[in-house]
Amino acid sequence: MKTEYKRLKGSQSFRQRLLLATLSSTPIIIDDIRADETWPGLHNHEISLLRLFETVSDDCLVQINETGTKLKYKPGIIMGGTQHRPHDCGVSRSIAYFLEPLILLGLFAKKPLTITLKGITNDFKDPSVDTFKSTALPMLKRFGVPAEGLSLKIESRGVPPNGGGEVVLSLPVVQSLSAVNWTEEGFVKKIRGITFSTKVSAQFENSMIRAARGIFNPLLSDVHIFTDHRSGPQAGNSPGYGISLVAETTTGCLISADTAVSHARHEETAGLEDDSKKDLMPPEDVGCGIANILLGEIAQGGVVDSTHQGLLFLLCALCPQDFSKIRVGKLSQHGIETLRNIRDFLNLKFVIKPDPQTQSVLLKGMGYGMKNLSRKIS
Amino acid sequence: MAVNDADQSNRPHRSRHSGAKKAKSDKKKKKQQRQNDDGGDEKRQNPKAFAFSSTNKAKRLQSRSVEKEQRRLHVPIVDRSYGEPPPYVVVVQGPPQVGKSLLIKSLVKHYTKHNLPDVRGPITIVSGKQRRVQFVECPNDINGMIDAAKFADLALLLIDGSYGFEMETFEFLNILQTHGFPKVMGVLTHLDKFKDAKKLRKRKQELKRRFWTEIYDGAKLFYLSGLIHGKYVKREVHNLARFISVMKFHPLSWRTSHPYVLVDRFEDITPPEKVHANNKCDRKITLYGYLRGCNLKKGNKVHIAGVGDYSLTAVTALPDPCPLPSAAKKKGLRDKEKLFYAPMSGVGDLLYDKDAVYININDHLVQFSKVDDENSAMASKGKDRDVGEVLVKSLQNTKYSINEKLENSFINIFGQKPEMSSEAVADALATHKDNKHDSEEDASDRDQHGKATETGEDSDGSESSDQDEAGAMMGEASSSDDRDDDATDMKAIPGDLKEHVEFKDGRRRRKAIFGNDVDQSDMMVSFELPYRKEASFLYDDDMGNVSKWKESLAERTLSRKTPSLMQLVYGESTVNMIPINKKNDSSEDEESDDDFFKPIEEVKKQSMKNGLNDGMVNTEDCSKCEPSVDQRWDEKDNEGIRNRFVTGNLAKAALRNSLSNGNTKEENDEVYGDFEDLETGEKYDNYQTDDAVATTVHKGDDAEAEQRRLKKLALRAKFDSQYPFSPSLATIIIKSGYSLPIFQIIVYKIETPEKDAGNDEKSKPHGQANESSYFDKLKEEIELRKQMNIAELNDLDEDTRLEIEGFRTGTYLRLEVHDVPCEMVEYFDPYHPILVGGIGLGEENVGYMQAKLKRHRFHKKVLKTRDPIIVSVGWRRYQTTPVYATEDLNGRLRMLKYTPEHAHCFAFFGGPLAPPNTGIVAVQNLSNNQATFRITATAVVLEYNHAARIVKKIKLVGYPCKIFKKTAFIKDMFTSDLEVARFEGAAIRTVSGIRGQVKKAAKEEIGNQPKRKGGQTKEGIARCTFEDKILMSDIVFLRAWTQVEVPDFYNPLTTALQPRDKTWLGMRTVAELRREHNLPIPLNKDSFYKKVERKRKKYNPLVIPKSLQEKLPFESKPKNTPKQKRKSLDQKRAVVMESAERKICRLYQHYRLIANNSEKKRKINAEKKRKELEKERAKDELLTRKRQREERRVRYRAQDKQNKRMRRAEA
Repeated sequence: MKTEYKRLKGSQSFRQRLLLATLSSTPIIIDDIRADETWPGLHNHEISLLRLFETVSDDCLVQINETGTKLKYKPGIIMGGTQHRPHDCGVSRSIAYFLEPLILLGLFAKKPLTITLKGITNDFKDPSVDTFKSTALPMLKRFGVPAEGLSLKIESRGVPPNGGGEVVLSLPVVQSLSAVNWTEEGFVKKIRGITFSTKVSAQFENSMIRAARGIFNPLLSDVHIFTDHRSGPQAGNSPGYGISLVAETTTGCLISADTAVSHARHEETAGLEDDSKKDLMPPEDVGCGIANILLGEIAQGGVVDSTHQGLLFLLCALCPQDFSKIRVGKLSQHGIETLRNIRDFLNLKFVIKPDPQTQSVLLKGMGYGMKNLSRKIS
Repeated sequence: MAVNDADQSNRPHRSRHSGAKKAKSDKKKKKQQRQNDDGGDEKRQNPKAFAFSSTNKAKRLQSRSVEKEQRRLHVPIVDRSYGEPPPYVVVVQGPPQVGKSLLIKSLVKHYTKHNLPDVRGPITIVSGKQRRVQFVECPNDINGMIDAAKFADLALLLIDGSYGFEMETFEFLNILQTHGFPKVMGVLTHLDKFKDAKKLRKRKQELKRRFWTEIYDGAKLFYLSGLIHGKYVKREVHNLARFISVMKFHPLSWRTSHPYVLVDRFEDITPPEKVHANNKCDRKITLYGYLRGCNLKKGNKVHIAGVGDYSLTAVTALPDPCPLPSAAKKKGLRDKEKLFYAPMSGVGDLLYDKDAVYININDHLVQFSKVDDENSAMASKGKDRDVGEVLVKSLQNTKYSINEKLENSFINIFGQKPEMSSEAVADALATHKDNKHDSEEDASDRDQHGKATETGEDSDGSESSDQDEAGAMMGEASSSDDRDDDATDMKAIPGDLKEHVEFKDGRRRRKAIFGNDVDQSDMMVSFELPYRKEASFLYDDDMGNVSKWKESLAERTLSRKTPSLMQLVYGESTVNMIPINKKNDSSEDEESDDDFFKPIEEVKKQSMKNGLNDGMVNTEDCSKCEPSVDQRWDEKDNEGIRNRFVTGNLAKAALRNSLSNGNTKEENDEVYGDFEDLETGEKYDNYQTDDAVATTVHKGDDAEAEQRRLKKLALRAKFDSQYPFSPSLATIIIKSGYSLPIFQIIVYKIETPEKDAGNDEKSKPHGQANESSYFDKLKEEIELRKQMNIAELNDLDEDTRLEIEGFRTGTYLRLEVHDVPCEMVEYFDPYHPILVGGIGLGEENVGYMQAKLKRHRFHKKVLKTRDPIIVSVGWRRYQTTPVYATEDLNGRLRMLKYTPEHAHCFAFFGGPLAPPNTGIVAVQNLSNNQATFRITATAVVLEYNHAARIVKKIKLVGYPCKIFKKTAFIKDMFTSDLEVARFEGAAIRTVSGIRGQVKKAAKEEIGNQPKRKGGQTKEGIARCTFEDKILMSDIVFLRAWTQVEVPDFYNPLTTALQPRDKTWLGMRTVAELRREHNLPIPLNKDSFYKKVERKRKKYNPLVIPKSLQEKLPFESKPKNTPKQKRKSLDQKRAVVMESAERKICRLYQHYRLIANNSEKKRKINAEKKRKELEKERAKDELLTRKRQREERRVRYRAQDKQNKRMRRAEA
């Protein structure tokens, strides 16, 4: 039988396209992937992502043309299970890039997934693994994912350019999610955080914390920021430091912000020759900046921060055919893209209503009725 | 029928004052009273007698009661159908000639007082105030039965009482069971064949018992005693109808998760000239029917049973052709409301399409539209032909398209207005043209007015709710474009002539009102002639044109609207990627003409301008947005951010929240409206906070109230489901709004005592109470969720709702499907209803499934691996080749060549995927004249399993060609050195049990040394080591497992694309092929079971070398003693017995003699008996053979006749 492929263009929202194609089992063809750019075709991290999808699923077909500008993907059955061989995520993107689609994929697998991912744990482009652990995983619990078997363990840290971090992700399997009514953002009652430093002095962390606390203390007393200094093999291959902050509200919403500072990647420096010798940002500025970003996120309102909007929308879309009601702050670009992808793949639309008083946006929509079909019945 | 008539005032019941009945009731009453006086029951009198004495027994009793309680409970099923339920499908099934059509006719007559001439296709009937029923006759072939089982809500199994059960009934029951098991009721007919009452009673008993064993004890079996005037007895039909109308239906899991439509109307809308040009071209068809199961979304793919998978080109909701009566307070149905809709059976004169109305005019009413020449000649003789008549005549001849035809026709009726629409042309046959012309314009004018008011409503924003309430009957899903038209249409739906006349009157009245404005509308109405079928005559098309004309208006209003956030997100920039990209390409091409080389940045900018989407085709995929540190929260006054913290001004923050909430709900607007300006004024802080606190409290109350309201609704719905005295009234209230009518109060009054009783219930065991409370909680949760969903859905306006949840169940849909093979239209048979089933996620993909399969116990043969079977999974039917397997103790999946006799096994097969837990029916033979049971197996899908490794045993045999000490070279086991390499290290064994191991391929063949002879070295000789030296005569085995591939063959059953009476032919089994080609079954000589004959091993005499002999001691030396001629003393001595011994010996002898004699006698007797039996058996056999021959002859004759008929039909 001939399979009908859904045709898409460009490299945008590559992860979500793959994820939604797999979940809705739609074969896709993506054309014109960076066809006009200096480095055409799929990048290393995208190839690595395809590898990851191949490892966790069975009978899936990936075909890439010679230049890498065209991809043909036919999804298979999500198998999950314990993956004994660690997956190398490369150093072009951080592990969170892989984690974001993987946690949704793993929920609908045949067996609970346990996998080791190697690469960069913290960088400034993607959310760090700390944020992931503190914000994204609790979000899953709201949608009815059981807490046992859901964990992310940071074995070692790695920052750009050379990485060397390692995390172990384990995910349970669900039959289906449950719809949420999550519109009360509440008030921020406590702020938690974690700083890390690899191959640099532990003093960096203290100064970051001091700077951040300087901003929070007038607002809230319940601020605890922990430190995580790594050395030796646990510190990866490159020096760097960073911070991840989470604000918890009275209604249990988690709003996070994070950043990391390290030397730039080699490929990026190739383009900008003069910046290669640039010094790292001073820790005081990092702490101050990240605290401001967190306050900005809090000020926006909404039950999640702008980074996790996409994940929230996806989770709502994968619910049973009940109404979910959520409130977010300003719709981020990623969130909008997610909404569009959901529309394209799952044929779902959300009702989006702005709320001018709070500058937030209310979304409600019916779930797709996603069920775990690959699970074996006894 | 009088029963349903509301006007009839029934005589009240009078209780008897004397006689037997009075005595009986008195006795009963007295007994009851006595019991009450005594204190209820005997337990009270003597409690000790009922106390348990043994703890074990008590424990057992308790566990038993708990178990019983558990068995009673079922996991509550979520019901997501919110609208009016679609008509329930009653499938009437039975073997041929049992009275199916007659039963449907009788039921229809009972409900509607209409005589149905012919039962074709589904027949929809309003059976009560809250219920519609659709009757379908099940076709007699197995394909039709399978399809019917998939859409039946209730199956009436007709059984010929005089004959007994037939295989069709059991086959259908089995199909029903695997596809969810809807309700089943048996109906016994032909009972008038019995003259003897006793025999009849016995037969009934017998059949009932068998029926019960098949379904469950107490399954309802109806008896239709006989015919009166060729109809069933009225009273019995009435009873049956009563049973049908009170029946409760459980949701079936497959159906509640898949939308489906039972097609009750079918049209081919291919342009006629296209068909003329190519008779076999792919067709466009429309299918009409009620949507069932779950909501259907646009873009959902469907499977048309017996045809294949198609995507729906267009889905439109049409007004309900058979609507439920309005919920006025009255008993029963009025005659007008006893609607009846059966387009395939030719009932109902008006048919409504998306943009047209068809009138069915019987031939005898309209002479002039007939094309026979005599008639026309007569007409022309009498008077001049009407212009319209001529036109209609010319229109009927569809050699050319109507456009061409119009050009050719010599009468130019509308000379001055060439853009006049065609419907006026059609109308001209009835009235004067000028008149009609006016009316036409008026109609469109009126519509314009209607639209204008409607758009006004749109701008108000309160349109949706108004529309809902006003047009409850109007059908919620009518699209906004032709809403007005629908409103007018609706009045005329009842299918009798009277209504039709009224409809005409309505049109005339419209004309009278708006008589003066003429212009403008003509400009808008464009001349576009839609294609129509000739059979259902074109009546009026202004709806279509008007709607088109209104489209432009609607577009204009749309463009005037400011884009909302939803439009910004889902705007048309990304609606469909490909066309936009095409546009982009073309624009690039144009630019390339200007200058060939261009900086890439510019191109990007250009694409950025073109649309939102094109700009981000290659944007980086990153969830974290760019950190923007433009705002320094530490430096500014933190008033804004402070209130987001618990340390901030909570009241103020709460105010903010409450305001936002108030804004989302329109009804609360005026309540909170005056606080809005309070927020801006900051001076009155104290005053403000006080108020704000008040509002927060209020707001909290409000939220609680909302929650409470939903809970109440949920409770009520639950209560209704438990006590179905008027289940629908509550739903009406829910639908109509949130006002609380008296009914609700009544409900609460009824409910509260029950609740109280539940609270202080102590008589129940704790376990039961706990369970039921948990169970109740679960149910309540589900109900609450449902009410929340309904509330959310009611908030949305019509279009958004349609977009979000799709078409609701119960809407009458028109599905348009393109590119359907012409055979479907050609061989369309209204007796075979078409089933259109929606395809769920991933179900169109082809993959491998693992199923748990069991051969049906009625089927005589076991099934062979890779023999094709026809399976029915989900909506589909297809042929596939399964591989059967079983799981060994170590988890290995071992292939089975045949299915086990009475046990389950796994079946692996390829095909379109069906979700786990889906039932499967397997059939091998589809032909109708097969005498045996046709269902071969039933199964259930366990999982999608591509990775499953099914293995079978393989034994490689080799022979030693050279033996060293413990090493040997083995030949004939492998064919190449590569193969040897593959098996390095494998364990091998000789027949005698010496174990060994494959080492490596032998370097050089040793046995025959072909290298020396110039030939090539023989490959595939393996060097093996053993635990002991083996012999050249040993055979060496290698036992291994080899993977079995599951063939990915699957062949959809296209039974709708061929004449229905023809059996579908697919892949044949090996046995069938052999039979056809007259091939013998290949026999492997080695596989025969035969007696093992071992050759006696002959040992050579032991030869001891002379040198050795000399050294041996004498004792061991071989002695050359010559053979003795005479017997030795030992041999020839005489034995003399003593007297006692002799006695014993003699006794033995006697006994033996007796035994021998009796044995001999027995043998003779047995022989005699055997011979007698054989004789008898031979006689029997002769008879049987004779009978079989006779049967076969009859069958073959029938088959031959059928074949001939078919051939004739084909010719």
